[in-house]
Amino acid sequence: MGDIIAILREHGPLLLVGQYPNGPLGGLAITFVLSVLGVALALPLGIALALARISPFRWAYWPATAVVYLMRGVPLIMLIFWVYFFLPALLGRPVSGFSTMLVTLVIYQAAYLAEIVRAGIESLPKGQTEAARAVGLSYMQTMRKVVLPQALYNMVPSMLSQFVSTIKETSLGYVISVHELTFAANQINSTLLTKPFEVFAILAGIYFVLCFSLTQLARHLERRVSRRRAGQTVGVTPQALATPIPATAE
Amino acid sequence: MTPPPSMIRFENVNKWYGDYHALDDIDAHIAKGEVVVVCGPSGSGKSTLIRTVNRLEEIQKGKIYFDGQDVHAPSLDLNKFRSHVGFVFQSFNLFPHLSVAENIMLAPTLVLKQSKTQAKDEAARLLARVGLAPKADAYPGQLSGGQQQRVAIARALAMNPPAMLFDEPTSALDPEMVGEVLQVMKSLARDGMTMMCVTHEMGFAREVADRVWFMDQGRIVETGDPESFFSNPQTDRAQKFLSDLRSH
Repeated sequence: MGDIIAILREHGPLLLVGQYPNGPLGGLAITFVLSVLGVALALPLGIALALARISPFRWAYWPATAVVYLMRGVPLIMLIFWVYFFLPALLGRPVSGFSTMLVTLVIYQAAYLAEIVRAGIESLPKGQTEAARAVGLSYMQTMRKVVLPQALYNMVPSMLSQFVSTIKETSLGYVISVHELTFAANQINSTLLTKPFEVFAILAGIYFVLCFSLTQLARHLERRVSRRRAGQTVGVTPQALATPIPATAE
Repeated sequence: MTPPPSMIRFENVNKWYGDYHALDDIDAHIAKGEVVVVCGPSGSGKSTLIRTVNRLEEIQKGKIYFDGQDVHAPSLDLNKFRSHVGFVFQSFNLFPHLSVAENIMLAPTLVLKQSKTQAKDEAARLLARVGLAPKADAYPGQLSGGQQQRVAIARALAMNPPAMLFDEPTSALDPEMVGEVLQVMKSLARDGMTMMCVTHEMGFAREVADRVWFMDQGRIVETGDPESFFSNPQTDRAQKFLSDLRSH
């Protein structure tokens, strides 16, 4: 335990922010930036893919379905290599490890988010769409004002889980030398040489605390969402609203 | 004397689900200002029929006119057309993420391009009309079924429809809430609204309907004024249906 504290005291900043401010930002900060940007950019793409997947138009349905199946059917590390070797060739200039990893995560996560969003849309009662169309809203207005606000709200817990996966996936950036958390831990291990157990225990600890607290948050939100949904079921009487919802109903 | 112009007209309407003949040669019309109650056993096609009017269900053969408009005309702007048809669902289908007022204001602001203030005033007026003025800021989940259905009626009225379609509006309600919804529908009828109502509420039919259509197996097998239909049904099928209905 003493060793772990000593390592943290000595190398803590490297784990947290890399060589910043004397060098590039790295460590946990980059892990976090990659995850947040990855999911934030993947979400609009995922929504677009989801809409294409439920669209009646074959020209939209087939390509989107192919992309989703392909991305969900290959290991992430393989996709990293594809982007790593092909993106520079495509652009005709070198691409940083960070950008490579970000592009990879966005493509990969968009496919998963697309399925989450699609499930969210399809789990809404059909009557919602019908009622919106019946008052004259167009397909896009129905999606924007009625379907997506409900579907995305209901999907917040799943999206948070997806964010947790993304945090763990950023560690694969190590193989293309992205200076994220795992990379920093490995740097420390190479410096110390004799303390691999302590170093990787610290690494495991950081990932676990981060992911565990986010998973707990997701669970908490999930309970809130189902409580809200329960309050919205058809034909709820005022009495039913006044009684607290039993834990089993969640 | 020329007959009053019809608000809704079905001409030779046919619909199949695969081999199943859901609507079989429907020829019927509803005059302006008329209230027609459609009843019949479940699976007889009454909900399918009412949903063909605003094309929530498509038909394979025949023609439907609403307020003089051919519903299947290629030049028809479907969204705009639907906004003129007031439709009330069995399951209310209020938007749970929007407040009561926002539910009513959504289509007027998006489709009719009304200003927020104008739509809000209109929503307040309609809520007062269905007896729910204090509920403007409540969410649908906080309302009883009967209140939700009255909001749904207000939502449909906000588009100023020339006719209202009701698809079993009280079937999903607890018995003690049926009355408040029927009350609103009766007041609409008294104000001269053209109405097509799929319902089994015989009291409502007797009180406000001008005609009753009885459907069975995708056909309108009997029509008549409510008094004679309920007291003296002509077909065996209608007699059996009414005796089943009364035995409940």
